[in-house]
Amino acid sequence: MIRAHTVLEKVKKAIVEANVKINEEVREILEKYEGPFSDIIKENYRISKEENLPLCQDTGMVEFFVLLGHEIRLEEPIERTLNRAVEEVYTEYPFRCSVVSDPLFDRINTETNTPTVVHLFQVEGKRLEIRFLVKGGGSENLTMLRMLTPTSGLERIKEIVEEHIRENGAKACPPLHVGVGIGGSADKAVLLSKLALTRSFGERNEDPRYAELERELENELNLLGIGFQGLGKGITVYSVHVEHFPTHIATLPVAVSVDCYLCRKGKVVVEG
Amino acid sequence: MKVEELKAGQEIRYSGKLIVMRDQAQKRLKELLEKRKKLPVNLEGQIVFYAGPARTPQGKPMGAIGPTTSARMDDYLEILFELGVIATVGKGKRSRKANEACKKWKRVYFVTPSGTAAALSKRVKNARVLAFEDLGPEAVYEIEVEGFPLVVAIDSEGNSIFKE
Repeated sequence: MIRAHTVLEKVKKAIVEANVKINEEVREILEKYEGPFSDIIKENYRISKEENLPLCQDTGMVEFFVLLGHEIRLEEPIERTLNRAVEEVYTEYPFRCSVVSDPLFDRINTETNTPTVVHLFQVEGKRLEIRFLVKGGGSENLTMLRMLTPTSGLERIKEIVEEHIRENGAKACPPLHVGVGIGGSADKAVLLSKLALTRSFGERNEDPRYAELERELENELNLLGIGFQGLGKGITVYSVHVEHFPTHIATLPVAVSVDCYLCRKGKVVVEG
Repeated sequence: MKVEELKAGQEIRYSGKLIVMRDQAQKRLKELLEKRKKLPVNLEGQIVFYAGPARTPQGKPMGAIGPTTSARMDDYLEILFELGVIATVGKGKRSRKANEACKKWKRVYFVTPSGTAAALSKRVKNARVLAFEDLGPEAVYEIEVEGFPLVVAIDSEGNSIFKE
């Protein structure tokens, strides 16, 4: 049986790290940037690391993707453990709690940054893998879902992704990591677009046709010239990842999710 | 320095006061105005910074702080200008309405680097809550900054650095 405490401690450590330590893939690209505000951008991750301060004041709503092996027994429901981890981190560290209790009527801050969002997938085996994204409101607000007609095809998909980033990319702290979910149902497509953001920049889709689509989108989005901070200098996107799933004969859902330039995320694995 | 003289694209370092205010606080100000009630803050000649800081660590003047998306608050921009605000600070492109308002009122919109909250917090010398404390990170603060990095994103002629 996997002890809740084991999961809790590992997840807590990973969340703190995602918030105060620059993502290594990202750092390599930031080091090379020399446009407006480049000095502050570089100073920022040095200070966060030295002083345990968050890289961004919007320390997000943490979203988890749990791959739970079917042979695993947990001491308590995983959602409870993950909520405790978030609450403990966000009250112990100088992070911002940004979750409100009700979306419409009582937008009262819960002061714990919980409830957190948990997606649970059961997989084969004895392994528990927990991936998470720390997404700020600015990048989350750029999530898009379009239900295309089944015959719309590749060009239409490229067009709507480009349109969306062209119109809104500057709002979500570019350069962006772009996740595209194609297929499934409406909600599945959104979920796929988020899962795409848990991948590393270089990790191409296994299907060469989708890998090609990723490369094409990357090139075309970078031609938009939005640049760092939306100020026109430097790249617009780091990487584009596509996830796909079979769908209904009458549908072609396409979802886009983006991550801000900090790409705060993490992965925790516990062997059962 | 007069804000009217600044040109889109110009990079400056600002030292002085900023009034930190975002979505909920501006909504409340609007409601108070509609009810003809007295406002808890005087915005005459002030610069409004769209931000919501993280918790303040012990012994520090301010926690991590940085700009939030300005476009969300475009509907309140004219109200701020009517109340005497001379400039706003945030991140990202705004609607055409914001360009027009800046031109009409001869005011400017600055962007400051987003996602650089640790570095920006170092430039905050002191901070105090002015109003709506119950809103937590969305309360109204007055902060004093030194060498705060700003780029003029919309100038008083309505010129913008962002592509249409």
